[in-house]
Amino acid sequence: MAAIEIKNLIKSFGPVKAVDGVSFSVEAGSVTGYLGPNGAGKTTTLRSLLGLVTPDSGEALVNGERYGTRPRPVTEVGAVLEATSFHPGRTARNHLRVLCTAAGLPDARADEALEQVGLVDAADKRVAGYSLGMRQRLALASALLGRPRVYILDEPANGLDPAGIEWLRGFLRHLAHDEGAAVLVSSHVLAEVEQTVDNVVIIARGRLVRQGSLAELTSNGGEVTRVRTAQAADLVPALEAAGAAIERVDDGLLRVRGLDAETIGRVAMDRRIVLTEVAQERSDLQKVFLDLTEGR
Amino acid sequence: MSHIPGLVRAELRKLFTTRLWWIMLIVTLLLVGVSLGFLMAFAGVSQNGSALPALDTAQWTEIAWAGGSSAGIFVMILGVVMMTSEYRYQTITGTFLVTPRRGLVIVAKLVAGLIVGALFGLAVLVFQAVTVIPAVTLAGGEFSLSASRVPQISVGILATLALYALFGIGLGALVRNQIAGIVAAVVWSYVVESIFTAIPALHGVGKWLPAGAAQALMSIDVDTGLGRPEWLPAWAGALVLVAYGLLFAAVATATTVRRDIT
Repeated sequence: MAAIEIKNLIKSFGPVKAVDGVSFSVEAGSVTGYLGPNGAGKTTTLRSLLGLVTPDSGEALVNGERYGTRPRPVTEVGAVLEATSFHPGRTARNHLRVLCTAAGLPDARADEALEQVGLVDAADKRVAGYSLGMRQRLALASALLGRPRVYILDEPANGLDPAGIEWLRGFLRHLAHDEGAAVLVSSHVLAEVEQTVDNVVIIARGRLVRQGSLAELTSNGGEVTRVRTAQAADLVPALEAAGAAIERVDDGLLRVRGLDAETIGRVAMDRRIVLTEVAQERSDLQKVFLDLTEGR
Repeated sequence: MSHIPGLVRAELRKLFTTRLWWIMLIVTLLLVGVSLGFLMAFAGVSQNGSALPALDTAQWTEIAWAGGSSAGIFVMILGVVMMTSEYRYQTITGTFLVTPRRGLVIVAKLVAGLIVGALFGLAVLVFQAVTVIPAVTLAGGEFSLSASRVPQISVGILATLALYALFGIGLGALVRNQIAGIVAAVVWSYVVESIFTAIPALHGVGKWLPAGAAQALMSIDVDTGLGRPEWLPAWAGALVLVAYGLLFAAVATATTVRRDIT
């Protein structure tokens, strides 16, 4: 049984079909990126999973059941939905303690979760004084309270600085790969999650566009580098000698597999060959994603 | 239903970890204090044929003591805010994630509201005790619990404030918008109820409103110069108040349980 299972989910808000027949699943021990442009239907899917939105049809199941069927859901599922869902006048520690009280967890869990996300020093400050990044960490802390095995995170990298994003990546990988949790994380920025996820589900205008493992979606016969030079006749044998497979697009343009850009540059420098362009070709995943996000 | 005590404690914790409650408490005691001040200043003064009893009489104590029920509006606003701030700050999302059975959340909030309302009632009673008793004694009167019916009025104040908090929460769950909820509470309390309870000709309707029922509970039977009021008997007043509480609770639950939280 998959930890998270979405089956033919449909949800409209008035005339707008927010989610239109989406199906996918997330297994324990893996991170799945749920990607799509803003307004694609990601949040509606996640809120359906969490029982906040009632789907028109289809199913959104966690551990084989609708959210909330069992009595203490926070011990099964940790969710991060918005970094804005705090009372500004309440401190972070009190925010978490309120949730602990309602969930029947000891107050000590609040302090442990604050430590896990690195907010101990700011724990007794009112949330009004928090940066967006700190609010994201606090939201994540509330997801950790019940030590769940399933995580559902909506745009958790929003507002994090580069160091924060790096920290989040490590944290999500740790949850999935070391602790065996199932992690579903949505984002509208591919680069945020590309280095974290094992699987990818792409959605646009409420419909599923592509899904598969990251390896499947990024394998377009290996990394391809586009190289332009006026001295192709000299460069091709040199690169081939270095182990590259080369496709000549035209007189001056080569598609090179099997060597990275730096190696190609060194080979060219050794032969005193001038390169006028060296560029990494976008992977299939990036292409698909950009077509979707830039196509309109 | 076994989670209810924990959920009620969580709701109380929500209230007591923000500043609003003590600001409201200060405002409430200020208002009660100001109206007591007026009652003391005008005690025994006759005006247009109607006279406020003198400070040393049991009737004055009765009227002054019953003034505590005017705190109802603040408790009602507190109840409105307890509910609507969850929508205003979107903390309702986290609340329903922890407790997906939304009916339980509403029940816990209503119970917490009753407790907070009663605590405000206690604070008002303590405040009245430390102001009214010295005032009456200094005026040469004798503070008599039985003659001025202080015990019954006190019970009435506690019940009224507890139930007004409940109304506030029910109203908040219904409108969800904080400003709209507070405006509705003020209009209801200061306009609709004051008209129907102040004008004896309208008491036929007014006695069925929460404020009228609260008056009945306290059995205030004093001629204010506009004619003797005709309230329900005390027990019926209590029943009417409880019925309002249940009605609001039912409406609050029904409108919250199935709504999408987006």
